Amino acid sequence: MYNIFAIAQRTMTQLMRDRRTIALILIVPLVIASLIGVSMSDKNMLNYTLPAILATLILFFGFLLSGIAFLRERSQGTRERLMASPVSRVDILVGYLIGFLIFALAQTLILFFYSVYVLKVSFHGALWEIIVFQILIGILAVCLGIFISAFARNEFQMVQFIPLIIVPQVFICGLLFPVETMPNYLQWLAKFLPLTYGVEGIRSLMLQGKGLLDIGQDIWVLAVYAIGLMVLASVSLRRGKTA
Amino acid sequence: MYQNAINLEKLSFNYGRLKVINDITMEAPRGISFGLLGSNGAGKTTLIRLMVGLLKPSAGKVLCLGKAPSPTTARDIGYMPQLPSLYTELTVSENIDFFARIYGLRDRAARIERVNEVIKLVDLWEKRKTAVSALSGGMKQRVSLGCAIVHSPPLLFLDEPTVGLDPELRVHFWEYFESLTKAGNTLVISSHTMDDAAHCQQLAFMREGRIIARGSPAELRAATGRADANLEDAFLYYIRRGEVKNV
Repeated sequence: MYNIFAIAQRTMTQLMRDRRTIALILIVPLVIASLIGVSMSDKNMLNYTLPAILATLILFFGFLLSGIAFLRERSQGTRERLMASPVSRVDILVGYLIGFLIFALAQTLILFFYSVYVLKVSFHGALWEIIVFQILIGILAVCLGIFISAFARNEFQMVQFIPLIIVPQVFICGLLFPVETMPNYLQWLAKFLPLTYGVEGIRSLMLQGKGLLDIGQDIWVLAVYAIGLMVLASVSLRRGKTA
Repeated sequence: MYQNAINLEKLSFNYGRLKVINDITMEAPRGISFGLLGSNGAGKTTLIRLMVGLLKPSAGKVLCLGKAPSPTTARDIGYMPQLPSLYTELTVSENIDFFARIYGLRDRAARIERVNEVIKLVDLWEKRKTAVSALSGGMKQRVSLGCAIVHSPPLLFLDEPTVGLDPELRVHFWEYFESLTKAGNTLVISSHTMDDAAHCQQLAFMREGRIIARGSPAELRAATGRADANLEDAFLYYIRRGEVKNV
């Protein structure tokens, strides 16, 4: 536990030092939400879209921040140094998860309160359930970022994974248009994308007043993805590699 | 207590088809500075990475302080990689403190005291609150050394520790290394400069993944048969002898 907190604290301190990134993490969601708010005069459309943005942004920022941070850890040589130390792969993974989830949750809360109290998006659920659900998406996103960073050699390459891994999910998950209105093959594809379940789940929690127990299927699918990606991320951190 | 700090037994490591470390058997006793000397690409860094457990041997065995490298044994090992390998956004003090924490210095007061002691030792007290990104190359090397020694490991691996240092700092580093061996610690140092090699108590000349000669600097110089031979002459002597053998 001690090592986990040391890594989490270090990760947070590093991010806090990068004031511009912190500002972007906190301001960009508000800008996006404002643009959506201004451009959608139809209240129903706004209710449909903004909760989905909550789930999408945590996936996007979790993936991007953890991926780039891990890539830098590798390119600066600190990963090698960590791997030669007594810390385990679990320490590194969980330390990173805690460090990034705190920022991701801060972002979620800011966006949530802005959506509900400024843009007047409907809200019939419990905030703590939204937080728990967002943590699940955040875990998935951070592990995805760590795993994918193993395939990138620099930040440019890491950013190129966004149109490959995140953008298709944004279009197909039902963020803008209901999945049911899409062609059959896209509906079939949407079933395999974690964001589909993230968007569906958060809409149920926020708009329909459902609880976590009512969205069991979404939670199960996201949990399976999160565990699978955690295993893959952990494998990518293997100590004592052969060539 | 295990007699040797390092034991390598028929150690080999391949990158694909390329044999980078080729059947090395050697041991290094405790309490000495052991130099790995060779040109770039000789396999020094790979050998160190095998010894600290970052790489898994293709064949053979590595024992550090009598045990195979693992996260458990890592607590007794210090590792200073060739590149500074530091968190550039963090300050000097925060970097060293982080490594102190993950190497098990849990008591806060004792840790702060040790971190301050190390910062003074590497002569960066005035810069302790400065972000590493704002330091010169030599200062970064000093922080890197600080991170490697903060937990007072009995076995320390230093990969080209003096590269990029000015002569005065190099002398300072070597004085400190000598004080560590006098205190009973073992240092394994890789270098490609004869100046560094002359400071080591035992040396292994490396070439193409093999150890071509081993001994004290005096023994290696004497092997050339020339009274005025320096370590460079000795290194060349063993290389040529190997080439003749190959012919």
